[in-house]
Amino acid sequence: MNLTSRILAAGVFLLLAPVVRAADGRAPQEKAFDRDVKPFLKQYCVRCHNAEKMKSGIRVDHLQAALDDPQLRLWENLRKQIGEAAMPPEDEAQPTDAQRKRMVEWIDLALQEARLRPVPKNGLVRRLTVAQYRNTLRELLLLDEELTEVLPPDAVSRDGFVNNKETLQLSPLLLEAYLDIADKALKRCIVDPKSKPTIQNFRVDLGDGINVHPCPDKLILGADSLLLNNADFEVTQLKPAKPFDFNPFVMRTKYRFIEGYRGNDTVRGWRDFDSIYHAVYACMRGNHGYPKGRAYETVPRGLLLRPAIPSTEIFGVDSTYGPRANFKIAVRELPDHGRFRVTVTAAKYNDGLLLDPGAASQPDDGTNALVCRNLKTPQTITVKQAGIYQVDVYSAQKNKPTDLTLSLGERQFTNTLKQPAFVVVRLPAGPLDVNARCTAGVSVDRVVFTPLAESRDIAQRFAAFEKRSPLMGVHMGFRRDCGSTLAPVGTAQTVSSEKLSRYVFEGSLRNFPNPDVEKDNVNYLAGIREIGVRSEYTDGRDRPRLLIRSVEFEGPYYETWPPPSHRNIFLDADPKDNPIAHGQKILRAFAARAYRRPIAQEEETALTTVFKNSLDRGNSFQESVKEALQVVLASPQFLFLIENSRTPEAEPLDDYELASKLSYFLWNGPPDDTTLKLAEAGSLRKNLDVEIDRMVGHPKFARFTAEFASQWLGLDKFQVLEPDRKRFPKLTRHARAHLRQEPIHFLQHLMRNNLPARNLIESDFVMANEATADYYELVGKTESGFEFVPIQHGRSDLGGLLSQAAILAGLSDGREANPVKRGAWLARKIIAEPPDDPPPNVPTLKEDTRMLTLRQRLERHRNQPGCAQCHAKIDPWGVPFEEYDAGGRFKRKPPDARSTLPDKAEVAGVADLKRYLANDRIDQVAFSVLKQLTTYATGRSLTYRELEQLKKDGAKLKAKGYRMKDMIQFVVHSPMFLEK
Amino acid sequence: MNTSFRIDRRAFLKGLGGVSLALPVLDAMGADVTDKIPRRFCAIYTANGMSLPQTAHKIDEWSWFPRAENKGEFVFGKSTEPLAPFRKQISFMGGLYHPSGPKSDPHVCSDMWLTGAPLHNPKPGTYNSVGLDQVVALHTKQFCRQPSLVLSIDAGTGFLSRTGTISYSLEGRPIPAENNPRRIFDRLFRGDRASLTAERDKLKQRIKLVDAVAQNARALHRRLGKSDRERMDQYLTSLDEVEARLIASERWIDVPLKKQDYSHLNLKVTNEGEPGEYYRNMFDLIALAFDADITRSVAFMLNREDGMGISDTFPLKLGLSRTHHNLSHANDKNGQMEFAKYDLFLSKQLAHFFDRLTHYKDRDGSVLDNTIVLFGSGASTTHNSRNLPTLIAGGRAMGLEHGTYWRNGETRMSNVYLSILRSLGIEKDSFADSTGTLSKSIFRRV
Repeated sequence: MNLTSRILAAGVFLLLAPVVRAADGRAPQEKAFDRDVKPFLKQYCVRCHNAEKMKSGIRVDHLQAALDDPQLRLWENLRKQIGEAAMPPEDEAQPTDAQRKRMVEWIDLALQEARLRPVPKNGLVRRLTVAQYRNTLRELLLLDEELTEVLPPDAVSRDGFVNNKETLQLSPLLLEAYLDIADKALKRCIVDPKSKPTIQNFRVDLGDGINVHPCPDKLILGADSLLLNNADFEVTQLKPAKPFDFNPFVMRTKYRFIEGYRGNDTVRGWRDFDSIYHAVYACMRGNHGYPKGRAYETVPRGLLLRPAIPSTEIFGVDSTYGPRANFKIAVRELPDHGRFRVTVTAAKYNDGLLLDPGAASQPDDGTNALVCRNLKTPQTITVKQAGIYQVDVYSAQKNKPTDLTLSLGERQFTNTLKQPAFVVVRLPAGPLDVNARCTAGVSVDRVVFTPLAESRDIAQRFAAFEKRSPLMGVHMGFRRDCGSTLAPVGTAQTVSSEKLSRYVFEGSLRNFPNPDVEKDNVNYLAGIREIGVRSEYTDGRDRPRLLIRSVEFEGPYYETWPPPSHRNIFLDADPKDNPIAHGQKILRAFAARAYRRPIAQEEETALTTVFKNSLDRGNSFQESVKEALQVVLASPQFLFLIENSRTPEAEPLDDYELASKLSYFLWNGPPDDTTLKLAEAGSLRKNLDVEIDRMVGHPKFARFTAEFASQWLGLDKFQVLEPDRKRFPKLTRHARAHLRQEPIHFLQHLMRNNLPARNLIESDFVMANEATADYYELVGKTESGFEFVPIQHGRSDLGGLLSQAAILAGLSDGREANPVKRGAWLARKIIAEPPDDPPPNVPTLKEDTRMLTLRQRLERHRNQPGCAQCHAKIDPWGVPFEEYDAGGRFKRKPPDARSTLPDKAEVAGVADLKRYLANDRIDQVAFSVLKQLTTYATGRSLTYRELEQLKKDGAKLKAKGYRMKDMIQFVVHSPMFLEK
Repeated sequence: MNTSFRIDRRAFLKGLGGVSLALPVLDAMGADVTDKIPRRFCAIYTANGMSLPQTAHKIDEWSWFPRAENKGEFVFGKSTEPLAPFRKQISFMGGLYHPSGPKSDPHVCSDMWLTGAPLHNPKPGTYNSVGLDQVVALHTKQFCRQPSLVLSIDAGTGFLSRTGTISYSLEGRPIPAENNPRRIFDRLFRGDRASLTAERDKLKQRIKLVDAVAQNARALHRRLGKSDRERMDQYLTSLDEVEARLIASERWIDVPLKKQDYSHLNLKVTNEGEPGEYYRNMFDLIALAFDADITRSVAFMLNREDGMGISDTFPLKLGLSRTHHNLSHANDKNGQMEFAKYDLFLSKQLAHFFDRLTHYKDRDGSVLDNTIVLFGSGASTTHNSRNLPTLIAGGRAMGLEHGTYWRNGETRMSNVYLSILRSLGIEKDSFADSTGTLSKSIFRRV
């Protein structure tokens, strides 16, 4: 029997002994601590593990007889080190077996007592996180303007979450910011109902030659400004129809500038301008060229756009000006703030599929084919049978490169003619006008239309192509001399109709980049806003072009006056009748919504006093209400989530506290009327599961998945990743933006559909959109645009969280994968066996390890005293992931990734590791999810006891396979959530 | 901070009907202001980089960065010679760069200089991030009348990417700069009654608001029972601190300005006139503002990138043959020499500024000893965003040790900025993309 097991045997007996207190009120173990433990620590441990030195990040000089909760893990570790005689190190003075035994016995007893010790339950008081504050303010005030940028980001707790009550600190600076934001927000919400708003409304129409009175000046907007021809766009200022009086804003057309741009340089000298076309431009400035066809063309019906291929991220000649096919309305004046609406009249173009370089022309034997000649003038042919045709164009000067614009009826296709195979189109039966125009003195000999059987590859490619629709995105921002700074307005919309239709995009002006130019600016190029309209790029697949007929702007956009944000505060009664009573009513209603519960008399009095004092000082009714509301918005009742405890015993949350706790958990925002009504009726507890279902199904649940997934899985690391562009050319900013969303959509899918937790490890589907599917080379499996949908991947290297690029690449440095980081991540996040923190001053490995393989290096690491302890628990989890590169993709030639896990199980690689986790360790995985969920839901770190309890109770969910929504329900029903 | 003391004193002040002058005025601002010597920061930017002539031209002595050594000490080049009297008050800093610099369009280097923001890949919906001077202002504003002073050769903001200001707010928005000495003087030193009254009303209003918030919060505090009180206590303490700062600001309005000699100022100058005279007067104003503790954070943009603004023509006014931006592109010997002569012109202005700051005294030494001056450009020479010419002056009372040409391979500018913040006593953990402080450099207390 070795020492440890002997001690364990003794421990069992001791654990059963009741805890007695001596007459002097000191528990026996306190005396034993002074007698045995303290001298032991002092003699053998403290020299290296003190506050100053903290070898391996450990100090023991501060340990007390009462085992504080945060120190339980340290004590466990101590017990192990001493029991297994791992410490003190061999070359140091050693304690006797008896001393060790006494230590271990004492620690066991003390740990046991500490774990059983009831923790006083004092209701939690948590500050709202920045995101929660933002959501709350927005919903309370019906104001979607972003005012919280001034707030510093919340700190991240040890558990990885930002909503932990310990890390949510307050400071004078933060309070000042809250006061400022309250002031600004209320100023934005409250209007003078008697005033008339000013509304700007204009439309830009687009089309080949549509402006019959084009601006006679040569327009130029800096270097490479690429403006549409003056005749191809027309600006009209409009007056929208509104059910209230307003002043239409008239754009300034007279300007005087001293600084301008001509030729290729900045020029100085005063010049006068007088035209709307020096105030509004239609601009295509972006990167030049397009892989196939033209980035844009104007046709009589409008402007045709191909998908906007993103530019590379690093500054270079070819990446300066933004994506290819980068259409923008550039405009000198837009309102400073308020909501706006951009309406684009657009259609899907009845397009043809341009053929790739190297595509074969159809046999030119005349059978079935229609041949059109004499193309010096437009010709008309008759298509007998409707269907898919390949169009081959034969140049009269075979080897002379030329640009060809081919018109078929109203449709137009332009490309460089390098080969006869040109385009595949669907043609209706009947007469067809054909026109072919070339550049550089080239003429067309003949155009051959060959019908394609539907079964042919190229016809099928065309059929898939014509089913696709452009995704239209609107962007708002400003022009820089070197490109644009734009942000998307809402999400892209699918333009699936070939009929011109109106597509509406709305946003709040201050949420978009703004050039902030001074009023008396004297530079022609300064202070120019931009409204971008694009056909969005997903992965470069062929897609019918987007046809834009017009772009209309209206802002500030009001449907009513005063706007809802105002009426929401002032309700509808007339204050003239009884200003005090009306003011009180307003304050009561507002404060109740802000505090998320009915307000107490004392609170009402405090607010009424502010309001009355303000009236007494001669302020207007509105100003006085505003002052009181500002108090509400800076008060702890609003800024904090408060659980009111009467005793140190556990008490049930009251219904309003529960309503808030639930909605800040599942929506990261305030409860809505439905939940509050249940709370008011006292029936929220009875309806918990119904409410959970409703909340999980609601769009606001996406806020939970985004927050929770990002923080649990540490996605911020991926966010800030700077990948090596040469090694990972596909890990572009565009790909990263979408890959970043993958774990979030994945988790949301599992939760909404209540799927078993094993999917986290191993799933036969991935959630993908066209951009991420392209990254994983899932060719031809998606047609969903930017929407994430489940697709069966049929591959062994995909599925589950562990092989998602956002996670694996995030745990690399952008060049090399890091198995240690990946291992630590898995241990911490997925199986809840967190390694200890790394010591403060990690020593470098002594020998030169550059020549060693990774496996050898890790072994060295594990054999190094001081490193071994932790790395033995980390590295083996990371080694299998060597099959994936630093960009998170399965390597073409995966290396040997066999690993012996800390629990001695052997796995051959990630697929094997997943199988092992999903089958043999699923309890541990489920516990990890429950631990993360509960920590997040309660906004605090869990105690040792709670974790033990969670492990035990959570096992009940196993029968149904640890389903994800079941786990949410389990957490909400647990005392950790329901009690305060 | 003792809560009840604050409140009692407020009550006391109110009891006197707001007759605050009965108290020693500075007392209201707490020991923070009276005991400590002001710590100040001044950032001075010059666009287009400095002349670093090609060695083939054999005019190394015209390099802005020192290229020679003598007995272990760097030798001032011809274009920095006017700074020689301040050797023990200045350091040249080599190898500095913003990692985001080379990734971004080189013309945005002035936008990035004080912020280090990833302008090539900004956070969605934003453009820039907070600048160093505004972080300083945030932490010093409660001690002085003006959080910061933002100056530039051209008024306003210019336009982003060709900016006319180097100062960016907490939200990353450009702060419009002032450029007219007369107007600056009137605003800082001749505050008119109407605007003072308006400001006082605003502060009084804010104090009332904070009082009301505090009352409301205390009502809640009493009801909390056994709930966790730690956050509520923190809230109330923070609120007291906010109130104390507001009271201090309000008091400032009544504190008479320090008596100073303004006779050397020529407030008629504008940026249209003689460049040297204009810069000297602007620097005089900054020095006066520091001396009177009107502000502790100043940002001054001497000229603009890419041929923008009036300053592009200054070399011509000084008898050189090309504009500033064109000189920065010069590869020929004569052009690089002329570019250096413009550097020489700037060095003279800077020397004048250091002279002024040495002339004014704090309790424990010169104003320069209590001011960290950061002078430099966002490009080393012509759009090269590595090895940014940087000179740091002053701050000896904050642990800065000067007299060297410091280099340590490539060093993040943000690490210098974090070191500046720490030296100023602003205990930030990070700034922009900083990875730490420069503890073994000219900064000895970071």
